[in-house]
Amino acid sequence: MSKQKRFSFQRVGAVSWRVLKQISRDRRTLGMMIAMPAVIMLIFGFALGGQVKHLPILVDNQDSGFSVGVASSPSFHFGDSIVSSLDQDDRVKVTLGSFDEGIRGVENGTYYAAISIPSNFSQSLFLSQTSQSLQHLGNISLPLGVKQILSVNSTSLNATVPIYLDGTKPANEASILGALQSALQGAFGSGGVTLDKQFAFGNVEYSGLDVSIPSVIAFVLTFLVLLISLIIVSRESTSGVLSRLYATPLSAIERLLGYSLALLLLGIIMVSVILGIGIGAFGVVVRGSIFLLFFGAVLYALAHVFLAVFLSNFAKNELQAVQMAPLIALPSMALSGMLIPVSTFPDWVQTIAKFIPMYYGNRVFEGIMLKGYGISNLAPEFAVIGGIALLFFVLAVSTVKDRITA
Amino acid sequence: MDETVIEASNLVKIYKEGQIRAVDMLNLRIGKGEIYALIGANGSGKSTTINMLTGSLFPTSGAIKVLGFEIPQKRRIVTSQIGVAPQEYALYSDLTVEQNIWFFAKLYEMKQKEFEKRLNEFLPILKLDERRKTAVSNLSGGMKRRVSIACALIHKPKIVFFDEATVGIDPVLRAFFWDYFRSLTKAGLTIVITSHVMDEAERADRIGLMRAGKLIEQGTPAEIKRRHGASSIEEVFIKLSSGETVDE
Repeated sequence: MSKQKRFSFQRVGAVSWRVLKQISRDRRTLGMMIAMPAVIMLIFGFALGGQVKHLPILVDNQDSGFSVGVASSPSFHFGDSIVSSLDQDDRVKVTLGSFDEGIRGVENGTYYAAISIPSNFSQSLFLSQTSQSLQHLGNISLPLGVKQILSVNSTSLNATVPIYLDGTKPANEASILGALQSALQGAFGSGGVTLDKQFAFGNVEYSGLDVSIPSVIAFVLTFLVLLISLIIVSRESTSGVLSRLYATPLSAIERLLGYSLALLLLGIIMVSVILGIGIGAFGVVVRGSIFLLFFGAVLYALAHVFLAVFLSNFAKNELQAVQMAPLIALPSMALSGMLIPVSTFPDWVQTIAKFIPMYYGNRVFEGIMLKGYGISNLAPEFAVIGGIALLFFVLAVSTVKDRITA
Repeated sequence: MDETVIEASNLVKIYKEGQIRAVDMLNLRIGKGEIYALIGANGSGKSTTINMLTGSLFPTSGAIKVLGFEIPQKRRIVTSQIGVAPQEYALYSDLTVEQNIWFFAKLYEMKQKEFEKRLNEFLPILKLDERRKTAVSNLSGGMKRRVSIACALIHKPKIVFFDEATVGIDPVLRAFFWDYFRSLTKAGLTIVITSHVMDEAERADRIGLMRAGKLIEQGTPAEIKRRHGASSIEEVFIKLSSGETVDE
């Protein structure tokens, strides 16, 4: 008899063959192997392929224009030019109104920025832009008033434009400021304008970590609650215990609620770990009520527990069950606004995004943590998450098995 | 026969859109305090029959009554009075012996004191006392089988179903189980046991021989052997099967 080799490629090959053969017999896994990457790529392509655009902003244009005062000289309305340029810029969606209305709109989430163009904007800009050049032109006959104005240091004539920003989304901020700079550049070239930036929600410009954590909470709860719940629930059906349970007084709803209670507790532990590390170790901001944040997280986790129980009815084994978690979590991540604002998507994708639970989860966590929103600001989002939890509960109850089906 | 506790009439179960007739016009009656053994080869329909009698599987047609209640319509009433030890161990491998039994006891809403009393009676009888804190995953097959039986009996059911309860265990343990089952029936418990081991049939009060979903013979072991002029139930079974090996 030949000596057994210590290492055998033949044995390695046999193991690989067995694994691939098993997968080839599992049509659902095979389907997911093709469908899942395709779906995820399509979604990410749509979601991330575009630029941040259509960001709603309010502009209060009080510019009264400026005329040199000489007969037949042109008058300048730089404020109107800026509004016109912004209107044509895809990055923003302009509404005209009062600055106060804009501030309220930023604080309640209607707008990402409010811009105020002062009444002397054209005058200040014209004079600061042209004073240096006119001085080089030698003896030009200018009205006395103009000479007096030009004698002042040109930098003090800079136009100041107050801008009130949301501050919780750096990508949005960059797009809005970019659009504004382009409009200013187009109107009268560079320089001459000072942006007086103020931020809603504590007048702080949040760090990258601060703005990420709310979405991370939503994503972790979506992915991990789903994954762990799916594993636990599907394991019972594949271990043979379920057939014994069917012959006991345990009803389907009792079993469902029992799973949900335990899995919810796991979800609460996960939330505690994330918040504990985020706040304790990294000093992440929580401007609003931590109790409301906890409640929101628990409600959100509960919705996903029910979803997991519902989905587990369609998994024949743990492998199939586990595949469902990324299938739900990754598109959610792309479409929920976690990576880039939903407003940048095509309209039809935005409509789909509003059916994603994580879209509302993000809004709740961001609203509480970054904006200090209370229940009154977030009532619609809480109502939707509660409604989603109820929907998944009903689906789970109606599909959970209480007997052998064959 | 004493009071009838299980009755099945013209029971049929068809799987896979008519392709598999797992149980075919089965009729049986089981009396209180009997040990009734459903004997047949693998795939003969024994487990399917048990699943229908316990209400876990709905029949395609036919009528079932257990303890006077129609199954599956009144199964919620009946399940609190029956126990089942399925063919697989059907235990939670990460939990200990005691935790597994406790879990099933709680499904029957047993009070803690009553549970502890029963457990302390059971575990020594089933020789599990020293392993009560051991995770099921660390037990041998025979011990797991005993834990499974304990889970089925903890709540003092009136009927217990053992689906292949003695499969894969050594002769000593098998003999122990049968003695234990006999002692339980003296207290009024009805036992329905399935097996593909023909000589187990000799130990039951009455047996039903199944083949291809049909009950081909029924009665006490002595009656059946006499009717067919055989010296063993195995001989009867082979005779009735015409010696054919059928892929059932």
